[in-house]
Amino acid sequence: MRPLLAALALLTTPLHAGVPEAIEGHILPRHAAFAEAAAALNTAAQADCTAEALKPAYNTAFDAWIGVQHLALGPLQEIGGPIALQFWPDTKGFTARQLGMLLKAEAPEAVTPEGFAQQSVAVQGFMALERMLYDEAFSGYVAESYACALTRAIAHDIATKAATLNADWPATAQSLRTAGEPGNATYLAPAEATQALFTALITGIEYNDDARLARPLGSFERPRPTLAEAWRSGRSQRNLALSLTALEEFAALLADGEASETQKLFNDTEAWLDGLDEPAFAGVAEPTTRMGIESLTSYLDLLKETAAAEIGAHLNVGQGFNALDGD
Amino acid sequence: MIPRRAFLASLAAAAAVPRASWADAGAPAYLAAARDASGAFALCGLSAAGALRFRLPLPDRGHAAAAHPSRPEAVGFARRPGRFALVIDCATGRQTARLDAPEGRHFYGHGAFLEGGAVLATSENDYATGAGVIGLWAPDEGYARIGEVPSGGIGPHEILTLPDDRSLLVANGGLRTGPGSREVLNLDTMRPNLAVASPDRGGLEVSELPEPLWPNSIRHLALRPDGLAGFAMQWQHDVAEPVPLLGLWQAGQPLRLCEAPPARALAMQGYAGSVAFSGDGQAVAITSPRGGEVQIFDAETATLRAHWRRADICGLAPRGAGFLASDGMGGLFALEADGTATPLARHEASWDNHLVPVRGV
Repeated sequence: MRPLLAALALLTTPLHAGVPEAIEGHILPRHAAFAEAAAALNTAAQADCTAEALKPAYNTAFDAWIGVQHLALGPLQEIGGPIALQFWPDTKGFTARQLGMLLKAEAPEAVTPEGFAQQSVAVQGFMALERMLYDEAFSGYVAESYACALTRAIAHDIATKAATLNADWPATAQSLRTAGEPGNATYLAPAEATQALFTALITGIEYNDDARLARPLGSFERPRPTLAEAWRSGRSQRNLALSLTALEEFAALLADGEASETQKLFNDTEAWLDGLDEPAFAGVAEPTTRMGIESLTSYLDLLKETAAAEIGAHLNVGQGFNALDGD
Repeated sequence: MIPRRAFLASLAAAAAVPRASWADAGAPAYLAAARDASGAFALCGLSAAGALRFRLPLPDRGHAAAAHPSRPEAVGFARRPGRFALVIDCATGRQTARLDAPEGRHFYGHGAFLEGGAVLATSENDYATGAGVIGLWAPDEGYARIGEVPSGGIGPHEILTLPDDRSLLVANGGLRTGPGSREVLNLDTMRPNLAVASPDRGGLEVSELPEPLWPNSIRHLALRPDGLAGFAMQWQHDVAEPVPLLGLWQAGQPLRLCEAPPARALAMQGYAGSVAFSGDGQAVAITSPRGGEVQIFDAETATLRAHWRRADICGLAPRGAGFLASDGMGGLFALEADGTATPLARHEASWDNHLVPVRGV
């Protein structure tokens, strides 16, 4: 090798193979599936907006959303982050209050596609739609009512956002693949692309622990079952399971199959979760069933630490230097 | 307390002897603490274009630095809770003095020069009582400890010299911590404030947030030459609550809050790491390394003008009409007030929390 080329080789770490593999095998197909399921939800809502009729399409689309929710970079950030599709946790009760205000005002322009896009994120996305379909305070509406138009507007907005994500991901994927090349102002080095996906993976695992489990668990003295994610539709356990399945696929591709300890912990965590019958995590309030749910936090803690160490070492990246410091 | 005559005497002495200037240190425009690829810690000088002017090793992770207004001398503060700060001659690369926290005190990571560089003030914790303290040191006497005054609150973090060069604005973060620890002992009763302090009389004039925002720890500060200050906060309660993380302070005026719409507020993860005014003074911005977002507000109307997303972004300082921003992956960016960013450089280093402008020439 000529000296100049040798010097260049030292300066340029190539893009880790796991990045294109995760793009092709995980990110792009899952966004295509989400766009398809969200389009089907919109079609179903326009055909029959009533609560019982819409539940199957709602659940299929929600399943597909959980499969991409952790990919909170690029296109998802452009539309406002994961809360643009799922406003949760809703600590101040914004969703119910603002849906109530919309329904009281009955403003026609608020439920047009353009008008609804301007509304607060609290009345958009899957949690607002859950209120319309599963909360008795909202779900009793009839076809061609204002509530029906609102339900259709929410479904339409979900489909629009899913289509935008699916349409915009190829450009972000290209930006990740060309990290460090001249003209790429988003990822200044290949390691930055790797780190962006690695961060999404670890944050995704952490979210299952810190949000999906910790919020309903509360404390032993004060469990908070109504803080469980999507408890009205009985999806709390399902969302956790679907998220783990997606993260497991993501981890395996990103680590290029070189993460056996992480893989084993995904299996252990999923096996424990499968053994529970806690669709809405209501068992957090009963000492006998609480322990089964609480044990999941130990699995997830260990999974997060193991994935961060094992996959981080394999990819030679770490978590955010400043993000973790906190001062 | 320091006799005023002593200041003037030391100022006169400093003026009489020709001394090195910041030009001898390569005329850096900014100081930043960093961790390099080998894991070693350093204090670095950077040009306005993002080029490395000098790199001086630190024994441990740094946090912020204070630049002497005229001599090429920087005080590098250890990450909180620190027991020491190092005085570094940035022209020679040598450590010229070391500040050790007195018995019963530890440093909180920031400091500021005042009185033309005749006094260095440091934010400290009297950990037996939890009272915030401003430590006072004499740069011209080998950085001898010359006194201390109350900070006017608990948990002082960043302190800034006000335009009169005689008084300080103190961000009393409100978080009480024990010796050598970051564990917060008073989450449910915390009550942060902004205090104006002077070496003669300590923190006296105190501005407070409305009670619902008391869990919002006031930690970082930026100053516009006319005396308008921006203060950045870190929400200690639920990160799912959209709260303002930036406010504006002006002497004698009530505090103003810069509110972002809920979706953008939530994107910050309840955490602002640095604050700076734009070079033209018309905008003020905060960074969130946790949320990977910079938010730029209008300094007059206090409304959100733009945001820019970048992972692990934290350091922020004025540059040109806009800003310089640094991140944990080594990136340095020119950021305009409309949210457009241009990469200037990428170093094989992780830039630590703050970019400190060098004022001297």
